[in-house]
Amino acid sequence: MQTTASSSLPAAQQTASVRIPRPTRPYGRTLYLAANIAILVFLLAPIAIVVVFALNPTPFIQFPPVGVSLRWFEKFFASRDFMHALWFSLEVAVLTTLSATILGASAALALARGNLPGTRLIVATMLSPLMLPAILTGLALFQTYVLLDVGRPTWGLVAGHTLVTLPYVVRTTLAVLHNFDTRLEEAAQNLGASPLRIFFEVTLPLIKPGVLAGAIFAFIVSFDQFPVSLFLVSPGNETLPVTLFNYLKFDLDGTIGAASVVSIVLAFVVVIGLDRTVGLRSYVKL
Amino acid sequence: MMKAMGPLSRRRFLTASASLGIGTIAAPYVARADDPTLRITGWGGKWGDIMKAEIGPAFESEFKCKLQTDSAFPYLPKLQASSRSAPIYDVLHTNSNEQWAAAEMGLVEPKIDPKLVPNLADVYPYAISDKIVGVSIFTSAIGLGMRTDKGYGGVTSWKELWDAKYNGVRGGYVIPVNSLGQAFLMMCGTLFGKGQTDLDAAYAALEKLKPIKIVDFTGAMEKMLLSGEVGLCVIHDSGIYRYDGQNQPTDFVSPSEGVLSLEQVLTITPGSKMKELANAYVNYMLRPEVQKRLAETVWYSPANKKVKLDAKYDAKLLTTPEKVSKLIQVDWKWYNERKDEIDQRVNRIFRA
Repeated sequence: MQTTASSSLPAAQQTASVRIPRPTRPYGRTLYLAANIAILVFLLAPIAIVVVFALNPTPFIQFPPVGVSLRWFEKFFASRDFMHALWFSLEVAVLTTLSATILGASAALALARGNLPGTRLIVATMLSPLMLPAILTGLALFQTYVLLDVGRPTWGLVAGHTLVTLPYVVRTTLAVLHNFDTRLEEAAQNLGASPLRIFFEVTLPLIKPGVLAGAIFAFIVSFDQFPVSLFLVSPGNETLPVTLFNYLKFDLDGTIGAASVVSIVLAFVVVIGLDRTVGLRSYVKL
Repeated sequence: MMKAMGPLSRRRFLTASASLGIGTIAAPYVARADDPTLRITGWGGKWGDIMKAEIGPAFESEFKCKLQTDSAFPYLPKLQASSRSAPIYDVLHTNSNEQWAAAEMGLVEPKIDPKLVPNLADVYPYAISDKIVGVSIFTSAIGLGMRTDKGYGGVTSWKELWDAKYNGVRGGYVIPVNSLGQAFLMMCGTLFGKGQTDLDAAYAALEKLKPIKIVDFTGAMEKMLLSGEVGLCVIHDSGIYRYDGQNQPTDFVSPSEGVLSLEQVLTITPGSKMKELANAYVNYMLRPEVQKRLAETVWYSPANKKVKLDAKYDAKLLTTPEKVSKLIQVDWKWYNERKDEIDQRVNRIFRA
């Protein structure tokens, strides 16, 4: 139809009608690609610098690097302090992920389904740790623990991390619940399923993408958490970010870079691990 | 296939996590010993290494106690946030400027009782002077660090830092957060004005010091000097001497006008329930053999006059009354009272 109409036009007009969309397209595509590349470079450049620093054999940052060496990785893995901090950070991050996920998902469900009075206020309160400077949260918790005379226990650190990671789980789970089709639960109910069975077989699988996304955020935020940990770590039980901070006050060598590379790899491994065990890909189906 | 693996892996994951959680939370309680615990602060780096490996365990063994060292900064806000009657630390180890701030807030006792710490009788006067809260167990000398491979020639005076030939390779500190920078500001008053408290002269001197590369941490300055990014900088002697034997083209200069002291100070908290042990710890840290071991590990000058260091260390550190007389102590009480005003002013200077 269009071909017929075009063929009836004079040759000059035909050319004009064909030319209109074409000139803008390559420029737009180029600009789009350039913008994407610029964003990628912006995001990945710090990681690249850290990797170069970690592999450079000199005990200071040097550009261009003078060679490739694993000496800083050797130093990192041979250090009892760094290894302890690494494992302790992982333990705290796993515990935080579990507590923040359970509490955050339950809270989101209650907020979405519970017909609670002042829901907006409750949501705002739950998200407030994101708005407060984390260092003040850490200091406030530290003072609370001191007042309670409980010292600086590991559960206190996990509680602090849970406080700052909870908003991520609440937010991502609420986002999934927003589009949730409650008729599926009603259908299961009509078929005689108990509330518990409905939760585990209908509700949970459907909100899983949001819960999982929140859990991943919780893990990464906890593993990298510095301001809250600064006040809550106890002697001999420092997390990796705190250990790195204390280390760089005295030694600014490639060990910091090596530790950062290990942290990045670990975070990546955890995301892949969650994908393999719990099914991160389901999030893509949203 | 992935679905078949899912439930099993999840169960394993949850079981492992739960075990890990219980283990992590319970471990400190299981490991808690009956011995009394002395809670102190301490540095990281080589200081932390030797304290953990030798000095600390030897103290624990001799005094039948546990030494719990907090090496995670910041110490002062933590001490401030804890109860005065049950402070988080028994002994505070930090630099003199922070000790003065702590003393002003009543968080630490201003003086150590010589009857309870007999080794106090053997320290150099600077270690218990009116510029010191508690006792200084070591000091570093703040002077100039220079590259020896750039043909700068012999540097003898602080004032050479202002020489135009060091434009672009001059190094200093972010004064509000670094005690070397703060001490240097006071030195500027002495060099170009009526004395340490002549802030106007110091500000004017800092203006003339630009362009200057400034860093937060002393460790960063060491690396900048090693990499050649700076050629002449303000630094403490241990930051240069610690690379002794590594053939680095760097050297420490003790300026003719004197070196500033960067004291390692111990104080005891008034509310400590471990006063006897705290005093014993201070006394222990002043023992000649402990002082020698630490001094030769971290290149700090010992405060105890009776310490005999090996020749290599003796040649460079402040180990005689003559060498110690070159030390210039900063009036941190005076400085802390004006810190906010000074911070604002120097921030304006270096922002411009």
